[in-house]
Amino acid sequence: MEHAFTPLEPLLPTGKLKYCLVVLNQPLDKCVRRLWSKALLRACADGGANRLYDTMEGERERFLPEFISGDFDSIRPEVKEYYAIKGCEIISTPDQDHTDFTKCLELLQKKIEEKHLQVDVIVTLGGLGGRFDQIMASVSTLFQATCITPVPIIIIQEESLIYLLQPGKHKMHVDTGMEGDWCGLIPVGQSCNHVTTTGLKWNLTNNMLGFGTLVSTSNTYDGSGVVTVETDHPLLWTMAIKT
Amino acid sequence: RFLPEFISGDFDSIRPEVKEYYAIKGCEIISTPDQDHTDFTKCLELLQKKIEEKHLQVDVIVTLGGLGGRFDQIMASVSTLFQATCITPVPIIIIQEESLIYLLQPGKHKMHVDTGMEGDWCGLIPVGQSCNHVTTTGLKWNLTNNMLGFGTLVSTSNTYDGSGVVTVETDHPLLWTMAIKT
Repeated sequence: MEHAFTPLEPLLPTGKLKYCLVVLNQPLDKCVRRLWSKALLRACADGGANRLYDTMEGERERFLPEFISGDFDSIRPEVKEYYAIKGCEIISTPDQDHTDFTKCLELLQKKIEEKHLQVDVIVTLGGLGGRFDQIMASVSTLFQATCITPVPIIIIQEESLIYLLQPGKHKMHVDTGMEGDWCGLIPVGQSCNHVTTTGLKWNLTNNMLGFGTLVSTSNTYDGSGVVTVETDHPLLWTMAIKT
Repeated sequence: RFLPEFISGDFDSIRPEVKEYYAIKGCEIISTPDQDHTDFTKCLELLQKKIEEKHLQVDVIVTLGGLGGRFDQIMASVSTLFQATCITPVPIIIIQEESLIYLLQPGKHKMHVDTGMEGDWCGLIPVGQSCNHVTTTGLKWNLTNNMLGFGTLVSTSNTYDGSGVVTVETDHPLLWTMAIKT
């Protein structure tokens, strides 16, 4: 069973994708404005609310999330108060065994179900910069997400996107015009013994990918506009976004 | 006052005037065009050669950068740590901003974390494969013969118990990461 999608479709002004937006605690990229208006639901994880508040100074009322969740050790008191007064749901998730991001996804999935929404993808802004342990926690959340929501999740920050490919065949359209130069396949978590790709400059043909063996970084496209990846274990796809 | 012994790479990033400046100043400029390995990996190979040539006793290789920017290049830095065991016997740490990473090989490790420069957080990341038996001391949330793996458990936002020492026992390579006070 082949799974086909276009990773950068949410960034297209003409895109018809139904998506939800999650804002994490990292400097907010400019694309948030474009992404905000067409999102079905928008949420901030803890300090992500600070980022939204600061970035949207002067027009905050136009960028009110449906909810803000977290253990609230990062959100500033005046930010929390502002969004509470404006009617945003403030949901405390104190559980220290899971990250604010993971818990935010759980709440998002609940609301998607409550509202019977048809959602194609969850777009997450942030998570790929700053503290190294938190970058790894973002990746870890993608692994846990399969048990939280059936909706695919992409994480975007600055020029990077990551997306976890589950075992099986995948077909990705990379011809939106917003793709940057590089891409890669990162066998985080475990080696992938049988990986086959098409559409890349350096393709794999039933090769093994693994830390200590081979990790595909600084790869690029062959110009066909389509990349296919077949993998026997979860494999992290990463690609550049044109800035 | 800050002239490197050598500059190596495929030179697709170094600016021409920069390359010229250091060449004129007597720094060795070494082209490593091999596209199957990163500039970092190839630089380590050259560094190891020079360490051997000069018969230097080296305790650690400190790398600045590599943990920010392009996500694929962050992962490439981590990948280089795995490859490094075949390149040099010298331990390698990578530092950028407030983060440090260091790859713990299978076995027992004892780390002193009482320099006063340690920040608040630390973590253990089973990047390449699950580690089935991990035991730690000195952390706020210790592991006792636990499994670490993506999809199971990854230790992030951990911290110290105040003893000033952290021990880690692992059956597979395990990435240690910690905060540096800024």
